[in-house]
Amino acid sequence: MSKKIIPFVVAIIMSCLVMAVAAVFAFGGLVAAEKFGSSSAWSQPYNTAESMKVIDLTGDGQDELFIQNTSNVSVFDGAGNILWNFDYSTPKTTLGDVNNDGVEDIIVYHSGAGSAVDVISKGQAQTIAKSLSIGTPARNAVIRFPSGPQIVLGDSSGALLSVGTNGQTTWQNVFSSEEIRGMDDALVGGQMHVAVASHDGTVAVIDEQGNVIWQIRQEQLRRMRAFDLNGDGNSEVITGGEYGAFFIYSAVDGSVLFNQSLGQAVSEVRTVELNGDPSSREIVVGGKEGGVWAFSFDGVTAHQLWTGSLSDKVTEISGLDINEDGKEEAVLGDDLGKVAIFTEDGTRNNLPSHSSGITRIDIGKLGGERYVVIADYNQVEVTKVNFSSIPGFKFVPLLVGLIVSAVMLVIAAILASIPPKPELKVSFQDKSRESLEAERRMLKESIADVERLRKSGEMTGESYLARLKRLRADLAENETAFKTAGFQIRVETFKCPNCGGTLELGMDKCEYCGQVTLS
Amino acid sequence: MEVLLCGGGIAAIVVLVIFFYLLNTARKKVPAAGAIGKKNYAPLYISLADKPMSILQGMNRLKAEVQRTETAGDKWRWIPMLIFFAGIGLALIDGLLILLGYFSLVFSAGGLILWIAAIVMARSIRRSDSLDFSPRYEGLKHILYTLRDDLRPGSTFLGHLDLTGSMLPTKVARSAKDTQNRTTNYYRDEWLALKAKLYDGNVIRISAVQKSKKRASYTKRSRISGKYKMKPEKFKGTMQDLKVRIVVNPEMYQIGSSSTLSAGQNIGKYTVTALSTEGGIINLAASSPFEEVEHENILGVIQSAYSLLQRKAA
Repeated sequence: MSKKIIPFVVAIIMSCLVMAVAAVFAFGGLVAAEKFGSSSAWSQPYNTAESMKVIDLTGDGQDELFIQNTSNVSVFDGAGNILWNFDYSTPKTTLGDVNNDGVEDIIVYHSGAGSAVDVISKGQAQTIAKSLSIGTPARNAVIRFPSGPQIVLGDSSGALLSVGTNGQTTWQNVFSSEEIRGMDDALVGGQMHVAVASHDGTVAVIDEQGNVIWQIRQEQLRRMRAFDLNGDGNSEVITGGEYGAFFIYSAVDGSVLFNQSLGQAVSEVRTVELNGDPSSREIVVGGKEGGVWAFSFDGVTAHQLWTGSLSDKVTEISGLDINEDGKEEAVLGDDLGKVAIFTEDGTRNNLPSHSSGITRIDIGKLGGERYVVIADYNQVEVTKVNFSSIPGFKFVPLLVGLIVSAVMLVIAAILASIPPKPELKVSFQDKSRESLEAERRMLKESIADVERLRKSGEMTGESYLARLKRLRADLAENETAFKTAGFQIRVETFKCPNCGGTLELGMDKCEYCGQVTLS
Repeated sequence: MEVLLCGGGIAAIVVLVIFFYLLNTARKKVPAAGAIGKKNYAPLYISLADKPMSILQGMNRLKAEVQRTETAGDKWRWIPMLIFFAGIGLALIDGLLILLGYFSLVFSAGGLILWIAAIVMARSIRRSDSLDFSPRYEGLKHILYTLRDDLRPGSTFLGHLDLTGSMLPTKVARSAKDTQNRTTNYYRDEWLALKAKLYDGNVIRISAVQKSKKRASYTKRSRISGKYKMKPEKFKGTMQDLKVRIVVNPEMYQIGSSSTLSAGQNIGKYTVTALSTEGGIINLAASSPFEEVEHENILGVIQSAYSLLQRKAA
């Protein structure tokens, strides 16, 4: 192949490779210029929020912001003004319409005058039960059992107590000896039950009479949530362990549907509709060391979608369709105050950090606008999250590939235009017989000279062999020239089969490499 | 953060190395005329077995070809540097996107490929560079040109011009060790061998040899600190030997008295070290302490050897 063609061939091959990779990136949807940003609408001081929800609590059709910490329950309107607030001792709250007025009420389980339950309806607080035989509040939930709603309370010693909406105790259960860590409504055969879990790893589903349907024990627990992930009328109970065990149980019988060890304590579990496919729900899990995992549950089992990370303990997870593509993005906060958005494929986009750890994140409409509400250890901030992208950016790899390919072809053209460097070992040889014979005589004289120098000790070792090798090679070239010109010549040299050095015919051992030869 | 700083530092070093490599390619080093220090010449080996004018034309052609390759490469020396800056430009687009809040490495990847292409091109251009030809190359041309009309018609010059280097490992003639066990290598470089049948029937052989001496590097232990020190190799000197042998045509010449030329006599840079006229052959050996001897000096020695001949009466 001509030396002028080679650069073009290499350049064309390289260009094809570059364009193929560029096409994979462009048409595989692997490249996008997208960003998430946020701007603060308002913020209010509020420390260490434990519970927070954007919900209509006044019945005016507009959502308010409910928030609760270790000593207070407050509700802000859409503009950030306090509508009402109540102080409590170690309150735990849940939301639910217990007075059947069509408006969500705040149910406060607190330990003011003994253990008591208050219902705050449209800003009016009413104690419906007090001096209950249950300890320090840990969890509570309004469960809409088939016979009617009940308020189920769980304390820090593992005891459960259920009261009706009139405040009467309906059942009691000493569930465990450790703190209740999770309480959620769970469907079994379309009937509402309550799923409960305690810190010692006990998980159970209990019916409206307080009977345990099933109970299992696993490693110590940090989180438990129940969702009907596939809408079949039976919930799945999801647990996250103190040592990284992640389980999905069937709420029907407690059978394990999926489990995986995550390598760090599970600090939060939420469902987020990451892929926009309503036939499956995605579960986003946060770890104590900042690990983030996304799983998809298809009704039978789950599989891992991606993993990511934050800088510190994941404290809250929420889902919001920010770019309005029908898929929710997961908004996560950590204990260092970092807030990040994870997209469907696990790409992380940072939002502005907070000065203290994130405690709660919720999403909802306030004053007609969709906001992300972020509570940290000092304040609650309502932010507008937006999304922007550069249109057509996915085709940029093709453009870059074309530029690179063009440059490579230009380089090939330049290199092809440079003539090859001439050989620096040249021979000016007259092809006449007389000249060739004279050269042959001269070479033999030179070989004799070298032999004489070696005998006299003027030349030894490598130098002698190198000179001899060169002269013999010249002699071989001379013989070739003789043959090419068609003159008769008695061949006196041959090539060593091992090192290629030229030797005199008859030698039985190569002087240069020591190879035994037969000539 | 540490990982980011480390990665950034390594990337910056790589970019600087590429930049200076391409800058050195763009700015070709041309040694100043009369620059001090040993100069490297193109490693060249020429076998001679042709008529003088053919050899001279071939030598001119070879030099022109080397220069043409070099000139063709010189024209494009700045292109790799421009491609490098184009790569920087692409990477800056990514930087701008990142400043605007978008994350992109597409342009940087393109820039990286451009840098690799620039390095490949720079290497090819550097390969087209060649060292200057040794003055001995031009010297041989002068010798051949001077002797061109003295050659027997139809005959050729034979021999070689070896400019591959005087102190190659293959040119170590012998080695010797001193009392401190240090090795000194003696180099013998027969850089010119020439044989010709002359018009007057004489046969002349010229052999120019450069002899050099270099002490090899060695390790020495300090008597005070006990530390081992590496001593570099040391150039100990060089000299030039020239042998001229003329086989005289007895029908044409007789060898005259050698009183006009004797050992110890200076001819240009050479000093005659031995002279023999026995058996109808003039053997003249001369040596010079200079590292470089010009063609005039070699021709001068040949002329002196020829001056011993006396033409017989017809």
